[in-house]
Amino acid sequence: MAPAAHALKITFDEADHRLRMSGPLDIHQLAQARQVLQKLQQKQVQLASADLRGVTALDTAGALFLLRWLRDIPMEFGDAAHQTLVQHIGSLELPQPKHSPAPRHDMRAALVSIGRWVDARRVDARDILTFTGKALVLLSRSARQPGGIRYGAVCQHIYAIGVSALPIIGLMAFLISIVLAYQGIAQLRPYGGEQFTVNLVALSILREMGVLLTAIMVAGRSGSAFTAEIGVMKAREEVDALQVMGLEPFAMLVTPRILAIIIALPLLTFYADLMGMFGGYIIIHSLIGISLEQYLDRIHAAVSLGDLFAGMIKAPVFAFFIGVVGCMHGLRVSGSAESIGYETTAAVVKSIFLVLVLDAFFSIFFEQVGL
Amino acid sequence: MSTPRDDIILSVQHIENRFGEQRVHDDVTLDIRRGEIIGIVGGSGAGKSVLLKTMLGLHTPNAGEVLVQGKPLASLTPRDLAGLFGVLFQQGALFSSLNVERNITLPMREYTDLPDDVQQQLALMKLALVEMKPEVAQKMPAELSGGMIKRAALARALALDPAILFLDEPTAGLDPLTADAFDTLIRTLNETLGVTVVMVTHDLDSLVGICHRVAVLVDRKVIVDRLPNLMENKHPWIQEYFHGPRARAAVAASAARQKE
Repeated sequence: MAPAAHALKITFDEADHRLRMSGPLDIHQLAQARQVLQKLQQKQVQLASADLRGVTALDTAGALFLLRWLRDIPMEFGDAAHQTLVQHIGSLELPQPKHSPAPRHDMRAALVSIGRWVDARRVDARDILTFTGKALVLLSRSARQPGGIRYGAVCQHIYAIGVSALPIIGLMAFLISIVLAYQGIAQLRPYGGEQFTVNLVALSILREMGVLLTAIMVAGRSGSAFTAEIGVMKAREEVDALQVMGLEPFAMLVTPRILAIIIALPLLTFYADLMGMFGGYIIIHSLIGISLEQYLDRIHAAVSLGDLFAGMIKAPVFAFFIGVVGCMHGLRVSGSAESIGYETTAAVVKSIFLVLVLDAFFSIFFEQVGL
Repeated sequence: MSTPRDDIILSVQHIENRFGEQRVHDDVTLDIRRGEIIGIVGGSGAGKSVLLKTMLGLHTPNAGEVLVQGKPLASLTPRDLAGLFGVLFQQGALFSSLNVERNITLPMREYTDLPDDVQQQLALMKLALVEMKPEVAQKMPAELSGGMIKRAALARALALDPAILFLDEPTAGLDPLTADAFDTLIRTLNETLGVTVVMVTHDLDSLVGICHRVAVLVDRKVIVDRLPNLMENKHPWIQEYFHGPRARAAVAASAARQKE
C-alpha cells in the first residue's frame, strides 16, 4: 500500500463547490475530518456535491459522519460496498443523543437522599433483628436435638475460623501488648510506678483488648468469608438448588457457621489473652528487668478470675453477631458478581461497628453490676 | 506484503498446544479468508476455546504461529489489535460497573480523540446496528436479559469496526427465535460491514444457515471445508455429528427456507 493511503485528504473546490475526499475515512480519521468540515461550515461555503471516489476504506463511524454532514448533497462513491454501507447506516433509526440534565443539588434532593439513607438503616435494623430471631430459633433447636447438627461442617468452619487464624491472632495480641507495655512504662515512670505496668497490661488485655481485637480480626477474616461464600452460592443459584431439594438453606449454611464461630471465637480470645500476657512479660522484663516470678506474682495480685470472665463472656456474643451479619449479607446477594463485593464490604463494616457498640454496652453493664 | 495470498486475513500455522501430558492441537493449520463466516466445531475438550484463545493471542501456543494479514500476531501493538479484532465472549463479558453506552465507548475513549457527543452518537449507531433500542444505552449489564447481553456485547465488539469478529458460542443459551434473529444479524453485519466472522458454535442451525465454511476439530487436527463436502467425510465423529437427527432437521429447515 502506498503511504499516501494512510492519511485522509479533504479538499474543497471553489469553482464547482465540490468536496473531494481521498484516503481512509475511519474512526481514527474522524476527529480531523470533523475539523475540516466545521471550518468549511464557519466559512459558510455552499457544498454542491461530494466526490468520494478516492476513499480507500470506510467504516461505520465514517459512514455516520458522511450522513451527518453530507446528507443533503449527492455523494459519488468509488466503491459500491461503501455506498451499501452508507445506505445501511442511513436506514437505521438513529435518535438524537439526549443531553441528560445535570443533577440538581437542591434542598429537596438532599432531604430525599437523607431519607433514603435512614430508610435503608431501618431496613438493616429490621433484617438484623429478623435474622437474629431466626438464628436463635435454629440454635435452640440444635440444642434440643444435638443429633441434627452437621458436625462435619461445624468442624470444618472451626478449622477455618479458629485454627488457621492462630498465627495472625497470636502475633496481633503480642504486638498490642508491646504497645500497651511501652505506653504504660512511659506514663508511670515519672511517678515511680512502672511496676504497675503489669497490672495495666494484664487488665486491659484480659478485660478489653484481647477479646475486642480478636473479634475485629475474626470479623474481617471470617465474617467477610461467610458473606462471600454464601453470596457466591446465592449468585450461582446453589441456594435455590438446596431449597428445591427440601433442604433448608438457613439450617444448611447459617447454623453450622454460627455454631462454629461461637465455639471458635472464645477459644481464640483465650489464646490471644495468653499471647498478650506473654508479650507483656517479654517487654516489661527487658525494659525494667522484672523476673517471671515477680511478673506472675503481680498478675496474681492484680487480676481476679472475674476480669478474665468479664472479657471471655463477651466473645460468644460478639461471635454470634459477626456470624449473623456475615450470613445475612451473604443471603442478600442478588445475583450479580458486583453485589458480592458490595455485600462483603457492608458485612465487615457492620459487624465491626456492632462489636464496638456491644462492647460499649458491656462496659456500662459491668460498671452497673460492679464486675 | 509477505502473505502469499492477499485474501487470507488470518492464518493459523502449524499450531501445537499441550497441557501437561495432554496434547490438544498437533500441527493445526487453518486459513481464514477475508469476508467469510467460518464456524469452528468439535466435541467438548477438542480444543475449540483454546484455538480461539490462540488466535486472539490470549494463549501462547507451544509451537507454531498466528499470522494476521501476513504479520505475526506477536509483532502487533495493542492498538493494532484493538482495530483488528472484535470479540463476543460467551458470557458477554460486559464490564459490570459501566452502563451499556460506556461499555461501547470505552475503546473509543482509549484509542481516538473524538468529543463525547460524537462518541455517544457512535455508541447509539452501534446499538442500532445490533438492532437494540437506544434506551438500552443507559442500562447496566445486570439489568439486561441473556439475549440483550449478547447484543450489547456484540455492539461493544464492533466499537472500532474490527476486521475480524470472533464469536464464542453466540447463540448458546438463547431461545430458538432469539438465536435465529442473532444468526440473521451476524449475516447482515457480514454482508454490510464486510467483517470476517469466526464463530465457535454448537448450533447446527447457525452452521447450516450462515457459515460459508466449517472447521471441524477432530483427533487434534482440523478439517475445514464447505458444509456439503464435510457431510461426505467418512470420519466417524463427523458422520455422527452431521448425520444425527438434529443435523438432519437443521439441513431440512435450511433447505425449506431457501425454497421460500
